This record gives sequence, C-alpha cells and structure tokens, in this order.
Amino acid sequence: MNMMNVMNTTAQPIDDVWIPSSCSLCYGTCSILAHRVDGVVVKIEGNPESAVGKGRLCGKGVSGIMTHYDPNRLTRPLRRTNPKKGLNEDPKWKEISWGEALDEICAVLKKVRAEDPRKLVVQRTTTVTASRIPFQTFAAAFGTPNFSVSGGGQHCGNGAHLISGIMHASWSVVPDFEHCNYAIYFGASKGHSAGHASCSNMGKAAEARARGMKMIVVDPFCNFAAAKASEWVPLRVGTDAALALAMCNVMVNELGIYDGPYLQAKTNAPYLVGPDKLYVRHPETKQPLVWDAQSSTARPYTDVKAADMALEGEFTVNGTPCRPSFHCLRDHLRKFTPEWAAEISTIPATTVRRLAKEFGTEARVGSTIVVDGVTLPYRPVAAIAFRGSQGHMNSVYNFYAVDLLNHLVGAADVVGSCLGFNPACHGHPETGKLRYIPSAGPDGLMVTGMWMGYHYPYPPSEPRLPTNLGLQDLFVLGMTSPFLDSTDREEMWERFDLPYRPEVMVNFGANLVMSIANKEAVAASLAKYKFMVSFDLFLTETSNFADIVLPDCSYLQSLDSRSNFPFIFSLPAGMGEWCWPIRQPVLPPDGEQRNCADVLLEIADRVGFRADLNAAYNASLKLQAPHRLEGETRYSYAQICDAELKNNFGSERGLEWFKEQGLIKWKKKPAEVYWRPFVDVRVPIYWEFMLPIGNKIAAIAEPRGLKIPMEYYQPLPDFLPCTSHCCQKPDFDFYAFYYRDIVHTNSFTMENPWLDEAARLDPFSYTIAINRAQARKRALHDGQLVWIENEAGRKVKGRLKLTEAIHPEGIGIGAMCGHWSDGMPVAKGKGVFFNELLELDWAHVSPVNNNLDLCAKVRIVPAEVTP
Amino acid sequence: MTEISAKYEQLIEDLRRDYRPQREWGEGRGVFLVIGHFLVGVAAGAWLFGIIFNYVPGLVAGFLLAGGGGIAHLAFLGRPERFWRMVRHVRTAWISRGFVGLTLFLVGGVLYLPPLVLTGWPWAADSMLGYLGWGMAAFGMVVLIVYMGFVYTASKGIPFWNSPLHPVLYMAYALRGGIAALLVTMALFNAPSVDATSLVTIWIAVTAVVIVLFALEIQGALTGGNPAARRSVREMLAGRMAVYFYGGTLLIGLVVPLALLSGHIAPLSVGILAAIGLFSALGDFFMKYTTIRAGIYLPLRPRQGRHVE
Amino acid sequence: MRWGMVIDLKRCIGCYGCQLACKAEHGTPPGVYYARVLKSEEGQYPTVRNLFLPVLCNHCEDPPCVEACPTGASFKWEEDGIVDIDHDLCVGCRSCMMACPYTNRYFNDQVPHYHPQGATPYEAARAAPHPSNVVMKCNFCRDRVRAGKPPACVANCPTVARIFGDLDDPTSEVSRLIKERGGFTLHPEVGTGPSVYYLPA
Repeated sequence: MNMMNVMNTTAQPIDDVWIPSSCSLCYGTCSILAHRVDGVVVKIEGNPESAVGKGRLCGKGVSGIMTHYDPNRLTRPLRRTNPKKGLNEDPKWKEISWGEALDEICAVLKKVRAEDPRKLVVQRTTTVTASRIPFQTFAAAFGTPNFSVSGGGQHCGNGAHLISGIMHASWSVVPDFEHCNYAIYFGASKGHSAGHASCSNMGKAAEARARGMKMIVVDPFCNFAAAKASEWVPLRVGTDAALALAMCNVMVNELGIYDGPYLQAKTNAPYLVGPDKLYVRHPETKQPLVWDAQSSTARPYTDVKAADMALEGEFTVNGTPCRPSFHCLRDHLRKFTPEWAAEISTIPATTVRRLAKEFGTEARVGSTIVVDGVTLPYRPVAAIAFRGSQGHMNSVYNFYAVDLLNHLVGAADVVGSCLGFNPACHGHPETGKLRYIPSAGPDGLMVTGMWMGYHYPYPPSEPRLPTNLGLQDLFVLGMTSPFLDSTDREEMWERFDLPYRPEVMVNFGANLVMSIANKEAVAASLAKYKFMVSFDLFLTETSNFADIVLPDCSYLQSLDSRSNFPFIFSLPAGMGEWCWPIRQPVLPPDGEQRNCADVLLEIADRVGFRADLNAAYNASLKLQAPHRLEGETRYSYAQICDAELKNNFGSERGLEWFKEQGLIKWKKKPAEVYWRPFVDVRVPIYWEFMLPIGNKIAAIAEPRGLKIPMEYYQPLPDFLPCTSHCCQKPDFDFYAFYYRDIVHTNSFTMENPWLDEAARLDPFSYTIAINRAQARKRALHDGQLVWIENEAGRKVKGRLKLTEAIHPEGIGIGAMCGHWSDGMPVAKGKGVFFNELLELDWAHVSPVNNNLDLCAKVRIVPAEVTP
Repeated sequence: MTEISAKYEQLIEDLRRDYRPQREWGEGRGVFLVIGHFLVGVAAGAWLFGIIFNYVPGLVAGFLLAGGGGIAHLAFLGRPERFWRMVRHVRTAWISRGFVGLTLFLVGGVLYLPPLVLTGWPWAADSMLGYLGWGMAAFGMVVLIVYMGFVYTASKGIPFWNSPLHPVLYMAYALRGGIAALLVTMALFNAPSVDATSLVTIWIAVTAVVIVLFALEIQGALTGGNPAARRSVREMLAGRMAVYFYGGTLLIGLVVPLALLSGHIAPLSVGILAAIGLFSALGDFFMKYTTIRAGIYLPLRPRQGRHVE
Repeated sequence: MRWGMVIDLKRCIGCYGCQLACKAEHGTPPGVYYARVLKSEEGQYPTVRNLFLPVLCNHCEDPPCVEACPTGASFKWEEDGIVDIDHDLCVGCRSCMMACPYTNRYFNDQVPHYHPQGATPYEAARAAPHPSNVVMKCNFCRDRVRAGKPPACVANCPTVARIFGDLDDPTSEVSRLIKERGGFTLHPEVGTGPSVYYLPA
C-alpha cells in the first residue's frame, strides 16, 4: 500500500496548488507546474498547456526540488575577511546584513562610476535566460560595455550564434522535425540532451525518428544523438569542416546538385567578385553588381530579376575581370576532395561521397509542398551544427561549411529543412507587439529581426582601437571574449593602450573558474579584481574569489515576466504555437535570500542611476506608453514585469493575469515559420565582408605587434587546424574533448543529489571514455585511474571507461565535473574537470570570433592510487 | 559527502555492473540468515538421528539448535516484531512452510522433550501430549529438512540457485549436520552413546553424496548456458568467495575431517570424533555461506533487436 | 482489466526523466529505485550501438515475488493486475528480492534523506513517511491511475516513449503497439508473463 494513500486521506492539506512557472536547471527553460502542498513543493511536472516542453520534463527538470531544497544553499550575505584571494585561500566568510552589504557595494560602484564606469565587469550565467535583461540593462545604465556570459558564451556561442544569426536570423538551428527526412548533425545533440527547446525537441526528434527521419550524426563519440542515429560517423575531433567541405564539393562539382533559383534569389551567389576577392560595385551607389543574362551587362542586384542573374561565367566590368561569387565558391570547393577529407578526418572517402549523394538527392531541389493551405518550397534535408563543431580554432569555417550544405540546396528556413529558431514573428494577433522580421541590410544581406545583445551579427561593426576589455570592438565578429581572463590579457590591454583596467565585478551565478578554461588562469584574473560581488545559490569555486556573496533566490522563488523570450532562443522551431510563459514564485525566500533583479534595482537607486536604468529597461523591453517607465520612479521588479506583460499583451493581461494563466499562446502561421520565400533578403554564401574586416583589424593590431592570420579572414571556408592537430609530440596520441551529459548542465547540477546519483549509475557521466582497442594496446583497463595530460603539462585525474563507442583517437569527458568547492559537497570530487586541459590565450582562440579552442592533444599516464 | 552508508555505496557500484551479486542474504545483517539456515538444518538432522539411534542428547541438541536458528532468523528480518505473519502464505511460499515447520518442531519439542529429561514434569513422554509433541516435532523435522533447498530454487532472480539438485543437496547437509551434532554431543555427555562406526559410515556415505551432487551442480551451472550462473561459479572458485570456499568448505569441512578420520594425526577417540563433527559442520556452514553469497542476479543488458540478455 | 506498459526503445534517449520523475513522485529514499535506466553498448567500433533500457517492476501475470512472499505482503490486485506491496505486512525477509528475475525490488534500510545535514522539507514530506526495513517497489502509481492519471514516468517522458493502457483490451494503444511493432518482454524464458513490453530500438 502506497503511503500516499494514508497521507491523503487522514489529513486534509491546508494548501494544495499547482502553480505554472518555468524551469531553470538549464537554459531550455521548459514550462513547469510546481505542486505545493502545505508550503512544501512536492512535485514538479511539465505544463501540458505550454509549447515549451509540452507537459514533459527531462531528468533535470523533475529533480529541481532537490536543487531548491539543498541545505548548502546560501541564506545570508557573506563578507570575506581574509583579503588574500587564491585557489587555496579560505575567504573566512562572516555573515553580514543586507544593509551592510549594499552599503559597501554601492560605495564601491559609486566611486567606480564617477571615475570610469567601464571598470565594472558584469557577468552572468547562461543557465537563467531571464537574467539577461536585468543584468544587461544594469550594465548599460551603469555605463559599462564590459559584459560577459562566461563559459556558456565562450564555449558555445561565438561560432554557433554568429553564423546562425548571419545565415538564419536566429540564435541556433535545428531540423524541421515535422517534415525533415534526412538530418546530419555535426557535433550537435538537438533533441537528445539539454539546450534550446530541449524537452520539446526531444519529443519532436523522437516523433521524427518514429516517422522514419534518417539522422546521421558526425561526432567523435557515440552517445546521446549518435546513440539514436541511423548512422554514426565517427571523426577525428575538430575536423567537421573537412567533411562538410568535401560533401559540398561532391554535391556541386561531382553530382551537379545545387538549387540555382534559390542561390540566385536568396543569396549573394550572383554577386560579382573581382580579383581582389571583393564585390564589384556600382561606382556611385556602391551596390554590388550582378551579371544580367538578359542584357548581358553588369547591373546592381536590386535591378535584375533573380532568374536572370548569372551564377557562373567570366566577365569584365569596367575593365575588371570578375566572376559571380558562386563561381568562386565552386572552384574553391574543388580542392576539397573526399580523399583529402579522409586524410584529415579519418572518415572514409566512400562515406563522404555517399553522404553527399544522400543529402543532395533527398534535398529534392525544386520541389514544393502544401502546409496549412500554403504552397512552400520543400527541401527535407538539414545539416546542423552546434557546440561540438564550432568549438575550435576553425570555429567560423566549421559552422559555415556545415551550413553551406543547406544553402547550396536551398534547405534553409523552408519546409523540412534547416530552420533557425523562429527568425520571424508577425506578433501577437491582438496587440501586434513582438513583431520582428529579418530585413535586408547592407549589400542586401540579411539583418536579423531579433537578437540577444546590442551587437548584431550582421552587419558587423567597424573594427576600431578597442575600448572594451574583451576587445570586441576590435574583433567585431566575436561575442563573449576570452580576454577578460586570459593569461595574456594584460599584454593585450597594454598593446592596445586600453585606458583603464577592470576593478569591479558583479557576477550572477557564473562559475567561471571552472567554466572557461584551466582554473589557474581565471583564478589569477579574479584575484586581481579590487572588488567582486557574486549572486549565488551555493559557495562555488568562483564565489571563493568574491568580496561579498549575496544569497540568491532559486527559480522556485523568483519572478520573471520574461523567463523564455526571445523566441529565437528557446521556443521550439517549426509549426506549432507561439508561447510566452512567465516564472513566478512558488515558495518564499529562505533566510535572507533576495531576488537579484530587485537587488539590482535597489543598487541603481542607491548609486543614483535609476533614471538611466528605467530608460534601459524601456529600450530593451520596447516599452511604450502608457506602460513606459518614467523618469526616476522607483518601480519594483514586479511592476516592471507587469508593465512588460501589459505592453505586449494588453492592459488586461498584466502580472496577475499571467500568474493565473502561466502563459499566453497563439498559433503560428506557415508564413512565419517558413518565412524565407516571403521576405526579400539574401544570405552570404561568400563572406565578402571578412576581408575588409580582417584588413582593418590587422591595420590596427599589427603595428602594435599582434599578427592577424589572414587565412582566417577569407571569404570562403577552409579547414584550418587546431593546435591539437599540429601537435607532433610523441605519446600525445589522443584528442581530449568534452561533451554535455544528458543529466547535467553547466556546473551546478552535480550538487543535486538525485542527478548526482543518476550520474554515478551512468557508465560515462563521471568517467573518461576511451576506445577499447586503443586502451588494450596500452595495457590500460576498465576503471583504471589515470592522468590525462595536455601539451603544457596540465593534467586531470579520473577513471577510464573502455568503450567501442568512441573514435580511436578520442578521449571523452563529461563537461564541468570535478568540483572541489566545500560549498557544494555533493558535487565535490565527482567526475573529471576537463577544462583544466584548456589554455586561455590568443594562441588558443579563433582569431575571427574568439571562440575557445576546446580540444587538446593529450597523453595518458597511469596514476597510482593514493592509499 | 552524503550521509550514506557503505552499503549504499556498494549498491551504486553494483548497479553499474552487468552482473550484480545479491548481498541481502549473507552480508551485513544478512549473515544471520545463513546462520539461521545452517542451525535449523543441523537441528533437524540431529533430531532425525536422535530418533533413529534413540539418543536423547541428540534430540536436546536438535531442539536447542532449532531455537538458536529461530533467533538467528529473527535477527535477520527487517521487521522481526511481525514474524508471526509468516504463517499466512503456506499455500505458495517455501519460507512460510519452513516457518510453520520450525514452529511445529519447537512446540512439539516443548511437549515431547521435558518429560524425557526432567523429573516431575506434569505429563509423561508416552502420554497424549507426549505423542502429540513427538508427532508435531517429527512433521516439523521433515519440513525443515526438505524446505530449505526449495527456497533457493524458487528464487528465480538467481540462476545459480535454480538447479533441481539444490534441494537434495540441502537435505544431504541436514543429514551431515545431524551426524556432526551427534558426534559432538557424544563427547559432551557421558550418557549411553551411539555406535560410532555407524555414525562415521553414514557420515562418509552422505559426504560422498554431497560431493557428487555439488560437483554436478557446478557442472550444471557452468554448462547450463546462463551467464549469471557461470559467473556465480567463478565467484565461488576464483572470485570473492574463493577464500571461503577453499579455506572453509574444503579445508575445514573436508580435508581436516578426513585427515582426522584416517587416524594418522591421532588415534580416534570420542574427542577426535567430536572434532570431526565440529569441522564438518563448520564446513557445511561455509558451504551454505559461499553458495548464498556467490548468487548473481539474472542480468538485464539491452541488446539490439527483440531481446535482453 | 490488466494494466500494462509499452516502452518504445526507438524513442527513448536515456534522459533519466522516468527514473527521476518517479523518484520525485514517490520520494523514494536513497538506495530505492522504482524505475531505472540501464545503458549498454553492442558491437565493435565503428559499428556500435548504444542502447538504453528503462526498467521498472514488470507486474507479471505469474509473479514469483507473490509466490515467494511468506506473509502475503506481496500481492496482485485482482481488479487491475497491479502487483503491490502491503508494507504493514512485510517482515523484511527479502525473499521476493531473490525471486524477482528483474531485480526491481529494493530494501529500504537507508536513512531517508540524501544530505548529511538531515531531511529537506521535501524529504520530510515524501521520503521519511516510507516505512523502513521493508521491501519497496513500483506499483504503477496505482493512486494516480485510479484518479485517471497515467503513472508519473509515463506522463513525464519527453520523447513519449512510454505508453500505459489495458492489455486485456485488444483495441487499446498498448495492445495495438505490441502487435504492430513486435513488442517483447524481458527474459521471457523465466515464464513470469510480464505486463511491460518493449518495442525494438
């Protein structure tokens, strides 16, 4: 007999409610229903009303109860009493009141703001999507451009988001699960792990699988996505571009498969390119020229019918020999033979040819389909990429090459193809708010309608002598910067005569000592801050460096009108519903926990920039009268949330309405989901803008002693090796890489005892995966304790798990494990700290988008078991 | 560090493996089950031979051992205060049957024995109550000798125990234990003794049967096709249980008694015979201990297609 | 009426959602798992398959645990076929744990909380009330089912890999799926007649 029976019949609970809110165990932010009985949350389930998750949750979501109720959670503000900061320094925390904490914080911030607000660095974790607006507006209002999303941004974002933004006007890409027949995943796990629209994608991917969609997964490790794949294609770590480029070559040059009309109408394929690799432009208007087959002349692209634009040919315009960029691309691709790709990636040439043929054939170039009564282009293939393929020196080209597969056959944002996450929205049917559509920018290339930051992927800004600590105003294609904490940051700042140095950090929950690279590098950087405030749930490896730690509310105690928005981030793609959920408190704060958004508002009030903050909120949330924030009025966060909701959905639908309903939703239209045919924008299959940017950056950097490798700034993609690919050291035979485990995300889930228990039962979560045959060759056995050491001598220790499911050169480690903080005792000592193997400097980041190179060449050394 | 016992840590480790040993019977508090089974088996055997050879100290020994066995069982249970509920399921459960058997045996013993060994008891051994007691004890004894092996064959989760030879083996242990009990009691009491030669002959015969049955059982497990059963044999002969098997079962339970029996070490005396009995019994204990702890669960490994291994 | 479950291995991605939703629904203490996800691989590089197998009590038609239980604590509900445990009758002899060919029973003898600091409010409400030193297992969320809701693991699965229904009804989704997709049970050679079927990966 279940005890529940006894409990429910003997005592009537006083309070028994299901409250709609949003999860926060990963940035997927699926919608939840939290069941509270007599003041205790006893269950978390999905919210079947919501399109985000569709009523279901992954293992992390249902376990949120134990993250919230962790006895190791911070409940009081803490002040460091030991002034020394270091990895082994005990801060000697003492509890202080909020009054004391805020007095000190505000005094510091006031001073800094008066001197130079740029000395403030604001950092946040990507786990809590809703933290973006409060912290971004705070930074903007304070006056600092120095904003970071820590490891999450550094590892995942600079490549994937840049290219998804340029090519699909969205944050990330995913197959159109409903209609796709053939999807190739390059180092991605959409639908098989956490991340954007995680649970919804899991359902959609499973449905697609059941329907018969073929999924080819290119990955050094056969876990998660590859485990469910129709075919696993193992490859040498970081060589995705080789496969993708060879496939493009086979498709275009051997099989002659490409979507001419799409390239003519929707890309810059017809734009004429001169011997300097730049567009041939109209002498006055500067518009790029195309060759008009009708008139046999070169005319601006705006004046010619797409069908008449030449894709190939040698032409002369005003004495300049030129060719359409597609012609350049086609020629450029010829050297990427399957045999070449096989050499670099270890994928057999026959496989390369076969995959290209399968992809090209299934693309069904030229076909159409009717969806909800609308006739649309039908290209049921999708090549997607994410963190795996873009986490290398060759970040930009890896991702770009993969996406090129889509654009060559017109499989971009049409039915069955590679979709951006909701790049176009016609807005709420009643209020018209939230409408955004990509538009044509400079040279007719697409500008995204919606973004997550102030600095859009296209058009790229003009490089200039940097004044940002992260040098993003110089390296304009980067987003999150390594130079905030790199070992050569001082050198860089000096080189560029940066007129200030970072002094103060406000950190929201990020654990950058663990999440960016090896701990010594980031520790050294953090130790130099004069003052650091950290909002945290637990005392982490990073809060160890703070001067003041503030106890944050968990997601079950927080209010956010914008738990999920923007739709480009984590609303499921494809047909279905637009859905705007909120997050609302289910439980009161414990002890002195406070909501970070409220605290930021109070700080702004005390330091004296509330008016600027109100203005920043107005701009970010696009608030209009009568819901605009006025002057210096001290709105509470709840009031701001209320204003946002009313602004977007009408005065009757404010916070109270949303607290009851949990969300609002309305049906998507085919013209929104498959918007490409309806909007006149082009995407670049020839990145002409790269050269001028590269040259401008070089012009600024090289006189100051920083050589810019121009092979990374060419308009057409190439395979450029990582440091690991160039390593010749004897014994260093393996490429170590990390992967996101299905039961853990970022760095705080290991503290959850249920998730930790599931991970301990999992064969791989906390172990080091190695190919069985390779292990046997070296007399290594299952469960053996070993050191994994990189070229620089950094090493991590862990237990081997022998498996057939990994490339012979691969060493696979679950991300962000290996905690050492006493503040997270469940997490402490579990798993392996992969990031220790990563170097953090100019030589180990992409020279284009500054994405970290996330692979390392390593050797294995058996470790003695300490008695 | 979670407040978690060593048992929990071991469970996590076990659950990661394809072949998971059972640990509830035989480890930690579970060792009381093995002790209980052992004592009860010897008790039944002692009673049997006590009856056959008309040797009252044997009966007393049986009764006391059964009592001890009962207490050991109680120590093993998670909820010993509810032990009486075990009478409910005799229809299908061998443990229920064994419980009823033990209860009848003990009650029967209480009715039959006191008039035999004590003076001034309210009823006589050949009274109605005495005969009732004798009958109950006899019935209980038979149940106790028979039921134990079947408990193991009914354990479908442990292929190693599913051999049909198991019940016969346990019956043979009961006999061997009974002889051992008699040999020991003969040394303790100066009462009229039993013909040592008969006892020894029976011991040798039963021991031979045990060896054959055990060998057959091992052979069956190794060739029967079940990987868990094979694994169990490996545990016993070359794994976790090897020390107990070779040291306990073979050395203590077989080699030493045989050596003593040969007369080469010392001339056969009542004391030496008792020693033979003791070592033999100890060997039987280790036999049960190793067999129980060598139990490996039927594995559950997903396989491509329509089956699971 | 015989409740049964179908688990579609083609859909399952091994996310542990079922294992953890179950734990959250019932507050099972450390060391007790009503539902688990087993992972294994088959083949040799590069033709390898990584396989997931969510397991739970199979609610057999001919349950060896019911047969082996000396007190009748382990029993099968006549009206719906669910195999359940009356914790008030269990003496903790654990013979059911030996009888179950699927090792889906656990003995609750650990402290009912995960942190050394003591029980969290959730654990005090849901884990601590479980009786200690008895055997526990999945009961197909009988209370939820009788209230018209599917078991917690079924309701939660993000890939909709778990389906629950009446095996005695030939038109139910579970019966249909078993027939159409070739549903199989675990270790059929033991002859227990499980009510949990798997569809091939």
